[in-house]
Amino acid sequence: MGLFYFSIYLFLIGGFLPIFLYKRFSLMKISGIVFISAGCLLSMIGAFLNLINSLNSSIAFKYFHNFSIAFKMDALSAFFTITICLICLLASIYSFHYLNHPEKSFRTAVSYFFYSFLVLSMIGVVNSDNILTFAFAWEMMSLTSLFLVIYEYEEKDTSIAGYLYFIFTHSGAMFIFASFGIIYSLTGNFDFKNLSNLSNIAQITIFVLAFIGFGAKAGVFPLHVWLPYAHPAAPSHVSAVMSGVMIKTGIYGILRIYFLLDTNIYVFGYIALIAGILSGVLGVVYALGQHDLKRLLAYHSVENIGIILIGLGIGMIGLANKNFSMAVLGFSGGLLHVLNHSIFKSLLFMGAGVVLQKSGSRSIEQLGGLMKPMKITGTTFLIGAVAISGLPPLNGFVSEFLIYFGSFKGLFIDNSAFVLSILAILSLSIIGGLALACFTKVVGIVFLGEPRSEKALKVMDENGITLKIPMIILSLFCFLIGIMPKYFAMLSFKVLSSFGIFLGANSSHYTKCLDLMNNISIMAFIFIIILLIIVEIRNLIYKGKQIGKKETWGCGFTKPTPKIQYTASSYAFSILEFYKPVAEIKQSSIKITDLFPKQVHFHSQVLDIAERLIISAIVKPILMILDKQRWIQHGDIHLYIGYILLAIIVLLFFV
Amino acid sequence: MINSLILLIISIIFSPFFSGLILKVKAFFAGKKGPPVLIHYYTLIKLFKKGSVYSKSTTYIFKLAPIVTLGVSITSLMFFPFSGYKSVFAFEGDIIMILYLFGTARFFTILAALDTASPFEGMGAAREAYFAIFAEASLFMILIFFSLLNKSLSFSDILLGENAMSLWKASGVSILFIIISLFMILLVENTRVPIDDPATHLELTMIHEVMILDHSGPDLALIELGASFKLLFYSSFITCLVFPFKFQSQLLNVLCFFIILSLVYMFIGIVESVIARYKMDKIPKFILSSFALAVFATIFIWR
Repeated sequence: MGLFYFSIYLFLIGGFLPIFLYKRFSLMKISGIVFISAGCLLSMIGAFLNLINSLNSSIAFKYFHNFSIAFKMDALSAFFTITICLICLLASIYSFHYLNHPEKSFRTAVSYFFYSFLVLSMIGVVNSDNILTFAFAWEMMSLTSLFLVIYEYEEKDTSIAGYLYFIFTHSGAMFIFASFGIIYSLTGNFDFKNLSNLSNIAQITIFVLAFIGFGAKAGVFPLHVWLPYAHPAAPSHVSAVMSGVMIKTGIYGILRIYFLLDTNIYVFGYIALIAGILSGVLGVVYALGQHDLKRLLAYHSVENIGIILIGLGIGMIGLANKNFSMAVLGFSGGLLHVLNHSIFKSLLFMGAGVVLQKSGSRSIEQLGGLMKPMKITGTTFLIGAVAISGLPPLNGFVSEFLIYFGSFKGLFIDNSAFVLSILAILSLSIIGGLALACFTKVVGIVFLGEPRSEKALKVMDENGITLKIPMIILSLFCFLIGIMPKYFAMLSFKVLSSFGIFLGANSSHYTKCLDLMNNISIMAFIFIIILLIIVEIRNLIYKGKQIGKKETWGCGFTKPTPKIQYTASSYAFSILEFYKPVAEIKQSSIKITDLFPKQVHFHSQVLDIAERLIISAIVKPILMILDKQRWIQHGDIHLYIGYILLAIIVLLFFV
Repeated sequence: MINSLILLIISIIFSPFFSGLILKVKAFFAGKKGPPVLIHYYTLIKLFKKGSVYSKSTTYIFKLAPIVTLGVSITSLMFFPFSGYKSVFAFEGDIIMILYLFGTARFFTILAALDTASPFEGMGAAREAYFAIFAEASLFMILIFFSLLNKSLSFSDILLGENAMSLWKASGVSILFIIISLFMILLVENTRVPIDDPATHLELTMIHEVMILDHSGPDLALIELGASFKLLFYSSFITCLVFPFKFQSQLLNVLCFFIILSLVYMFIGIVESVIARYKMDKIPKFILSSFALAVFATIFIWR
């Protein structure tokens, strides 16, 4: 744990130093990045050692007598700490060439300050040992990330996004604190103590409240509304951190609370699974309808949180039924998907950031043909895209495979588990198909084909070595986990076996899982060897052959322009039309009427059902009620003093 | 192991021949003489001899896609138990991985199509992505059925193990449903007639063929090979479900397997001859009815 606490000082230095050095732009960035990444590296090593040696290190000190600050790193915390530090390390390196506006020097320095505090508070959230520390770290995380989101605060969209994020994250926190309040009132202390002897209703209330609160942070449908606004508005390395790891603290919270409660209660698993299915399927449907690259990726976070929750839900159902093989498969699949998603999602956001920086456009429809000037970005983005679609031999497949396997085990338990398992399997397969459609769209339209606009045409290079290195490292991780999943699955087993509930699971359950992982490796190797053989044979065949270069065959049409290419909207249209009941498409266009038509335009937008529901069912009624109370705020200072007096007198009756 | 490897190689070598059978059957129904049965071998040899022309718009992905599709098809065949021999490789869960590998192949085919910047190929790619979503759901419903009946997720166990699937056992009725459902998926996944017509003259109406318009020479040959292996995979799957018997003589087993296999191919030819192509908006309904069949079959055997 010493290593880990030393890193806190590094984060603090990395946070404060840039503010003093802001006049020297490059030095400022280097000082911030060096200390933040050193801190990340150290705490990652510390957490890793903790995890493989199954240590539980803790520290606690009192503050103002009754406000106790306590940290404890158990296996679950260590697992999340490793994930957080890995992504934050790479994202901070990436930021060196990404934040390249010397005229915004002070603002950049401040953003490093908040960045280091965001990392620190995320580590704090996953390591805190009592409710107060958790709440403190949680609030710090929400606020620092808010300030990172509004980096370009003078733009209207960004300030709206920041406002929305602020509201959502704090209404979510309200639910979390409500559930903590119930815990405190029933147990009388602030520790994360076992709650399984409380009444079922109390436990379910605690879980539901915590699930809503943490779900709002994680982006569970229908509380995901802030994600597609905040992620595009934030600078790309911040989106990578937020989407890659910050929303996972929500998952951490759900898991932490769940393992305090009585795992024999069925409802927990049902809630998690159904929420997972909803966010998984709907997230990817909405993603398919987006034209903004980063907004699309944000919706994919909703989808992947859904997959993680499906895994956890399967695990919870397994535990409630004492079916340990199902529980081990579900939980380890979910946990591994936390790691996997953080890897490929931050990789994709970094790729999107490079595209945005070089072309100045986030709109997919305006891009095209970027693979030629941006070989490394394009290739790593492609790897991330294959991984996020859950295709072998990359890492996304491994965790989905585990979840599939767990769901297939659930078919044999009882009626409700049977139906839910079938739903889980089918929704996973539908998510897989839709994600494939969505990411072929992104890669195909953005990186392949011909440039669709001036902006895409002017992209010449992908300069900036620190932009490329993190993406290369992350894509190597995608391969590594995909081909040798055994070692990474073992990390998640370590986490599971640290919980007392899993004492019933004997080593055969784990070895069975490890066998599965070995099989994936074997198959991946077979596939790659066959690919290499085919490549060799192909080279032999092509030796000495004539290779021509011509235009794409235009079916007799001799004057092709880039404008006749398929666009992202037309590619996704037929799929979206099928999902019309949940994803309404709003279109506006000017019809061609005269002989000499004026300029025409066509605009289409996919409406998010959750956004509309929240506006019509929650926001509007609240506004209506509050509007009627406006007379209380009249601006007269005498009466305000009267209010205070009245409040004190009323309180005197109660205290 | 050696036996199954030899059988695998024989099946691979013969697969273009079987595809030729389809053409013969179709010609018979049309009252024509039709191309020779070995037509696909001639085409492959011709294509391998040629050079290639690449579009200026394309990148390396365009060349990668044929390699991946062929690689996936060969890998999938390695996990398939031909005619009662254990497959070359097998493990618990291989069936899920193979379905996902087909997804990988589809991913790269679609990307190669979008790589050419051709509007036709974009259209084909969009359709391929759209229909695959339903086909995949349908396949996983079939998997649920197998898993319920057999408690296993490996091809070798499902087709050879203790509870091997068979049309001729107690749950035969529901397996009949599954066979029909699987046959419908075969038509979808292998671009067969009610869904897609490789022989049509209008690019606007194609799905898979339009995606490979710009591939030429050996690259095209790799794609054709991959497609014929994929068809072999699906039809052998159906053959094994229809004909699970074991004779004493291995030779007889193999012989029967290949005869039934060619009957399945001929049946594809008959279907292609008697059914007209569906309109594009009818295709999702077609795939979803195969999904419904699989659901019904699962309900039959459940409890």
